[in-house]
Amino acid sequence: MSERVTIGPFHPELEESVYFKLSANDDKVVTHVDLINGFIHRGMESLVTQKNFMQNLILTERVCSLCSNNHPFAYALAVEKIAGVKVPRRAEALRVVADEVKRAASNLFNLAMLAHLIHHHDLMKETMETRELMQDLKEIIWGNRMDMSANTLTGVKYDLDDEKIDLILKTLETFTPKLASLTEQYEHDEKVVARTVGIGVLPKADALRLGVTGPVARGSGINNDVRVKAPYALYDELKPKVTLRDAGDVHARAMCRLGDITEAVRMIKEVVKNLPEGEIALAKRPHIPAGEATVRVEAPRGELIYYLKTDGTQKPVRMRWKVPTYTNWEALKVMILGSKVSDVTLILNSIDPCISCTER
Amino acid sequence: MEQTVKPRLFRINTGSCNGCDVEFVATAFVPKFHLDQLGVELVDRIEDANILVITGPMTARSQAFFEEAVSKVKPPYVVVGVGTCSVTTGIFRDSYAIYGPLDKYIDVDVNVAGCPPRPQAIAEAIAQGVKILQSKLLDQPMPTKLETIFTDFEAPESYRGRISLDAQKCTACRTCETVCPSGAIKITKTLEGYEHTIWHNTCCFCGNCSYYCPTGAIFTTNDFHTIQRQEEKYTDTHVALIPFHECEDCGKNFIPATEALIHRSYPKEEVPEMLTKSCPECRKRTTFERCYR
Repeated sequence: MSERVTIGPFHPELEESVYFKLSANDDKVVTHVDLINGFIHRGMESLVTQKNFMQNLILTERVCSLCSNNHPFAYALAVEKIAGVKVPRRAEALRVVADEVKRAASNLFNLAMLAHLIHHHDLMKETMETRELMQDLKEIIWGNRMDMSANTLTGVKYDLDDEKIDLILKTLETFTPKLASLTEQYEHDEKVVARTVGIGVLPKADALRLGVTGPVARGSGINNDVRVKAPYALYDELKPKVTLRDAGDVHARAMCRLGDITEAVRMIKEVVKNLPEGEIALAKRPHIPAGEATVRVEAPRGELIYYLKTDGTQKPVRMRWKVPTYTNWEALKVMILGSKVSDVTLILNSIDPCISCTER
Repeated sequence: MEQTVKPRLFRINTGSCNGCDVEFVATAFVPKFHLDQLGVELVDRIEDANILVITGPMTARSQAFFEEAVSKVKPPYVVVGVGTCSVTTGIFRDSYAIYGPLDKYIDVDVNVAGCPPRPQAIAEAIAQGVKILQSKLLDQPMPTKLETIFTDFEAPESYRGRISLDAQKCTACRTCETVCPSGAIKITKTLEGYEHTIWHNTCCFCGNCSYYCPTGAIFTTNDFHTIQRQEEKYTDTHVALIPFHECEDCGKNFIPATEALIHRSYPKEEVPEMLTKSCPECRKRTTFERCYR
């Protein structure tokens, strides 16, 4: 006897709308997975060709609010590559600060959702409250809790003075012990271990075959972090240490994300303490000639690739992006098959799906 | 707050960038946003809900599923539209895949614009929704004006909230109109001058206009109170007139450079008087004549 289960598209445990059609046997183990998407498709690849380069700085930010710094970052890198301009060093440093703050907040949100899905209410609250430190910081420095609007063509829109640097360092001082406590709890807490270890396993061979990226790859023992493999901005000097795990389960992926946050804290501290002097953006707006460029950056979820084609006008001819969830999504079929129906949303959450990026 | 019914809340995402959804989770689970004071329960099935929190610009794919889902809700219920997308579809308006805004498909009660709105604003909107729900249940008349319920919320100085314009500094150069990604700004020529209009419910609060404005005329304030009744949706605008001046030489209408702009061009030198008094044509002629006198 097989039972058909549908989850979604509007479901309180799903942050975004997706639609699952599952078949399960008598033991409630999934035997067939059908994923139906398209709910978040907003036609953004068409929209970006209707808007000019300045407008697209904001439109790319609205692709997804959780990686909302990486999209304009990658887009700005692509435009700068075509224009052939060199970004001031201070701007590169400030871009790293914005990116890492965003990465910490994004990963904490995913961990909070994990705690929520395993009904560990106290841990969820604690994670959300730790995340609030980063949210408050974003609101004070960049003016919005989600969409920071930090990047501009040839630089950044914001600057840090001594007062703001002080605020960042103080916030990180409060943040660090909380993060240590969270890391300890996610690693050893009975409830977390019971529900996440050995669940949704993605073996290394499958991870390589499917080309997964980000914490999903690192949880299966593959390091393909763009910040390490093809450094951009200041990552060449900062040398991020990535966390690798071999288990390939929900727990391993969560721990990789926590490791990323610890690294983010270290890098933010290092950058703001030795902030290079200089301009935050070039005084002259760049001339954008006809050309093509491909760039890649590391979003909180993995590798993000931007392709941009211009023809010398004020609007892109074509812009396309490959997002981390696009490859990670396929891995879900491996992870969900053979799992309990009750674990499906938990496994989905463990790849930190960004459906708005994927379907755009 | 006095309560007669337990508010049961269900959230629907109709294709948002997940910013509003993430902020909704923060609102619901972080105590400092006071949502617990309202006694709101988050329900698992839409059938049990009497408050619908809806985010997103209503994508083509979501529309049929959305209509099917909301047909199961039993009245009376309240609809709270969260985020600029749900109010006007905002930045995604010109796309082929957007069927919104939300009020085409369901009667909305409260709107809260923002990209995304702060949790404080979302909490306030839900509080207003609870109040309206009670009025609906008791057959009381709907409030005509929304009084702020949570009065103790503050925003940092640097928060990017409602946009404002200092008409004295504006030269109607259309930079803000060009860089605004959601088309919230329009400058039109009238008999008296240039009319500068900002639609607050289309604005995506990105601050591009204030960043690129050459004179600092357009700026963001830290006002995050964007909670409104549906009826106020299309009237929430900021209109300013940048008046014409009469040229002292030929009598034609023109927009003189504002003090803020002149200060940029002449940071140290003395400002030529004719800049503010003559139209560009007459200035050109005067300069030409001076050269060949």
